[in-house]
Amino acid sequence: MPTAGLKTIIALSFVLAVGFLLVILSCALWHSYYPLLVVATYVLAPLPNWICSHCANPDDFVESSGAAVLDLGRFCTGFFVVMGIALPVLLAHSNAITISAAVMSVIGGLLIYGTIISFAMFFQEEQEF
Amino acid sequence: MSEDRLWKFRRPEWLNSIWARNAGVYGAGGLFSLAFYILLDSAVWSKSALNGSTVHVTFVDWLPFIFSSLGMLIINSVEKARLSADSFSYSGSGVAWKARVVLFLGFAALAGGLAGGVTVFVLKFIVPGVPFPALTMGVEVMLSAMIVGLSTVILWVSQNIEDEYSYNLSL
Repeated sequence: MPTAGLKTIIALSFVLAVGFLLVILSCALWHSYYPLLVVATYVLAPLPNWICSHCANPDDFVESSGAAVLDLGRFCTGFFVVMGIALPVLLAHSNAITISAAVMSVIGGLLIYGTIISFAMFFQEEQEF
Repeated sequence: MSEDRLWKFRRPEWLNSIWARNAGVYGAGGLFSLAFYILLDSAVWSKSALNGSTVHVTFVDWLPFIFSSLGMLIINSVEKARLSADSFSYSGSGVAWKARVVLFLGFAALAGGLAGGVTVFVLKFIVPGVPFPALTMGVEVMLSAMIVGLSTVILWVSQNIEDEYSYNLSL
C-alpha cells in the first residue's frame, strides 16, 4: 500500500472535479438532466460493500457465517457499477439523451467511481491481519 | 470430501483463490445488472418515439425475467453444505433431501424463465412476423433471461470456491 500524501489528495480531488464536470456538462449541453443519475449510482456503489463488511466478522473462517453477507454486498456493488454504465447506454438507445452525452457521462462516472475506490484504498487503516 | 461432491468434474487450480471467488461474485452481480438493464432498455425503447410499430412491452415480457430471478434467489438461498451432508442432528432428518427439493424448485423456476423467454419471443414476435427494429425487444427479453441463468451459474461456482478456501484454511 503506497503512502498517501498531499499530492495524492490533490490529484484525487482534481480527477473527481473532472468527473463531475463531464457529467454535468453532458447534462447541461443538451438540456436533458437524466445523466445526473450516474452520479447517484456511483456514490451509492461502494455503500453495500461497506455496510456488509461491518455486519460480518471476517475472523470467523471456520464457521463462515459472515461470508454470505459479504457476498451480498459484493453482488450489490457489482450491480451498481454495471448500472452506472448501462443507464446512459439505455437512455442513448431510446433517444432520451444523445450518444455523445452518454459517452461523456460514462467517462465522468467512471472517473468519479475510480476516485472513490482509490481514496478508500489509499486511506484505509491498516487493520487486516 | 471428494466422494461427496455434487458435481464430479474437477475445477482448475487457479480458481482456488479468494481473488477468483470475489471476482466471481462481483461478476455475477454485474451480469444480473446487465440482464435487468437489457430488459429495461426494451421497455423504455418500446415507449419512446423510435418505436413505430404497434408492438409494445407489457407485463408478459417481464415474466421470464421475474421467474429467472426468483429461481436465482431460491438457488442461492440453499446452503451448499446441506446438500451433501445428511447428518445434521439439530435440524431433523433428511436435511439433504429437503435441500435438494428446494434446489430443484429453484432450477425449475430458472429453466422456466428461460423457456418463457423463448416462448414470448416466438409467440409474440416471430409468429406475427414483427419487422426488425421492433424485433429487438423480443431478442432482449430472451437475452435477459439467459444472462440471469449465466449469472446464477457464476455465483454458484464462486460460492463453491469459498468452501474449498475455508477448508484449506481450517486444516
